[in-house]
Amino acid sequence: MDRRGFLKTTLVAGSAALAGGDLCAQETRDPEEFVGILVDTTRCIGCRACEVACGETHDLFVPDVLNDGALEENRSTSDKQWMVVNKFETEAGEVFVKRQCMHCYQAACASACPTEAMEKTKNGPVTWHGNRCIGCRYCMASCPFDMPKFEYGEWNPKIQKCTLCFERLEAGQKPACVAACPTDALMFGTRVKNLEIARHRIYNHPDDYVHHIYGEHEVGGTGYIYLSAVPFEQLGFRTDLGTRPYPEYTKEFLYSVPMVLFGVPAFLLGLNALIGGPQPGQEKTFELEAGDDGGGDER
Amino acid sequence: MDSFTYVNIFETKGLEYLLLLCFWVLFVYLIRYLSPPSKNRKDWH
Amino acid sequence: MGVVMNANTAVSGEFSRFFHFLMQEMKPRGPWLTPFNVISIPVIFTGVVIIVIRFIYGLGAVTNLSQDFPWGFWLGFDVITGVALAAGAYVITFVVYVMKVEKYHSIVRITVLNGLLAYIFYAGALVFDIGRPWQAYNPYIGNKFGFSSVMFLICWHFFLYMVAAFIEFSPVVAEWAGWEKARKFLKSITLATVILGITLSILHQSGLGALFLMAKPKIHPLWWSEFIPVLFLVSSVYAGLAMIIFESTISHRVFRHLIPHDPKHSFDDILFGLAKGAAIVMFVYYFFKALLFIHGKQWSMVNDAWGYWFLVEVIGFVLIPGFMFAFGYRNRSLNIIKIASVMALLGIVLNRLNVSVISFKWYAEVHYFPSWQEIVVTLMIIFTEIWILRWVVTRMPVFKPAH
Repeated sequence: MDRRGFLKTTLVAGSAALAGGDLCAQETRDPEEFVGILVDTTRCIGCRACEVACGETHDLFVPDVLNDGALEENRSTSDKQWMVVNKFETEAGEVFVKRQCMHCYQAACASACPTEAMEKTKNGPVTWHGNRCIGCRYCMASCPFDMPKFEYGEWNPKIQKCTLCFERLEAGQKPACVAACPTDALMFGTRVKNLEIARHRIYNHPDDYVHHIYGEHEVGGTGYIYLSAVPFEQLGFRTDLGTRPYPEYTKEFLYSVPMVLFGVPAFLLGLNALIGGPQPGQEKTFELEAGDDGGGDER
Repeated sequence: MDSFTYVNIFETKGLEYLLLLCFWVLFVYLIRYLSPPSKNRKDWH
Repeated sequence: MGVVMNANTAVSGEFSRFFHFLMQEMKPRGPWLTPFNVISIPVIFTGVVIIVIRFIYGLGAVTNLSQDFPWGFWLGFDVITGVALAAGAYVITFVVYVMKVEKYHSIVRITVLNGLLAYIFYAGALVFDIGRPWQAYNPYIGNKFGFSSVMFLICWHFFLYMVAAFIEFSPVVAEWAGWEKARKFLKSITLATVILGITLSILHQSGLGALFLMAKPKIHPLWWSEFIPVLFLVSSVYAGLAMIIFESTISHRVFRHLIPHDPKHSFDDILFGLAKGAAIVMFVYYFFKALLFIHGKQWSMVNDAWGYWFLVEVIGFVLIPGFMFAFGYRNRSLNIIKIASVMALLGIVLNRLNVSVISFKWYAEVHYFPSWQEIVVTLMIIFTEIWILRWVVTRMPVFKPAH
């Protein structure tokens, strides 16, 4: 925080000096402004209104929630559905869990993308830009939650995943799933506020929740955070992902690239000069050419 | 769930240095094995 | 550039001369109905049909890729393994041009040619694998650059390395086409391109490993390590050496009539030298693996199927071929060295596939297995490469004493 504070002060002071007081808050983006969604699985009744709303809003598959019996199977999101609700039998009875892209603080997919087609936008949602994507699927291989999905059946495939209703947020609306939720199991807000609400609930009802907020620290923090009455392993969450932000796993390698590019050519040239003498074949080059002119097409 | 357990990430360092010693001993043997006896050297190059 | 210089004298005359020369060279030489042609031509045509289907109906129509397995045989074998096996070019140019070891000079051209073609075909296979290849220019001159991406680096390094390898090989082309001035110029920049090529190779051989750093929770802990880039780099060195032994043994049999006798450095001596180098590198690589094994306290993981599989790879296809190289060198046995090189290559294939495909999501209930179409396209790529290689080798002065 110290360094961030320092940078912030410097940037603000600098831009104030340069632009004459035209302070741009966007330049010093603070992760505290990220928005996200709090999912309280103890409140979810499994009505899947969010699935319907998501499908309708984004022109995707709209499930027939009354008749399809989809809760009986453990589904994952797909290129047709950005979010799914699954049912888990646990020690606390039936628990319903909504799963979708977690909108990580430091998104693995966004750092993996060679063309920045996956983008962590300034206020939190991770979105995809079709005009940049080359379809390498490195985002899929990198995402710790396996959320980006690829249209394998299309000649011009898209990456499909939750966008946190980016367009609706810009229009000042809540994400479609949150707006559709009848039980306030989903709460939209800044992540900091959501965390406060989550902690508040755990504090006030210590017996109703496990004392863990999934997404607070996992993979460096995610936009979606979850509350639960049972340990998260029982709800199909991976609890072995660690708290290190995933882009940091490639940090050392990416740092070393310019170092190799500085050092190795110089080292090789030095080695070559140190060895001295003519290049291999240098002396005999001209002898050979004299007797063997005109290329090797005649054999 | 979030209990603290003492984790020493360098627990195996001793073994690793032991491995290093093994490596050097074996490496010297490998190099000597790959270097032909000096009297035959002429035939080799 | 050399073309421009040369064309000063008589542009149209030179152009028509080269055109007729090229047409002449395009004609087949030798018999048509060889066993290789009979097998490869149907495979290549089937592969082309599969590729057409892939571009009309999408990747799902011909591959077994799924949402759980975004990367399969095309990426894991063609690109990641193929590039490792093409490492011989940077190793041998280092030895010959930087270290100035004359002994290996005669195999430089064929090795660089092999490397160049391997990159063009195996890295080029990415075009089939990526979903939107018509936007593949994006990392180069596109609207956004993903500077934080390992894939971005690999895109650039592949491209730059292909340019470097082509320049390294280009004196041969110039000699074949009879462009003497161009040849001299291209020859003069060889050391610079060699150094560029080695640097780029170091970066993308390790970079292919770095691709998997963020897949940590999905790759079996016996294969994932934060040192994957180092392991990939070190193993690429012996992969390259083993590939030279394997490939030049075959080409010396097939193209025997093209290869002049070098009285100073016999072909056997070269193979023995390569075997010695491979033995040492494999020994070091084995201990790298052992160090990671100990640091990760992985002995608790070896007592199941994945553990045995790991031991098969590390002991059966690294340690044993490593010792076979040493033994074959010591006892002057070419046969042992040739067998060792095949085993070492299989070990590289195993390792790369283990990291990228086999142990990827080892916990999944339904695991990916390549479809026959994926395998046919891979064979198509290999066969097409061999066709081009054969064309170049029988026409250009590849086996002549390089100068």
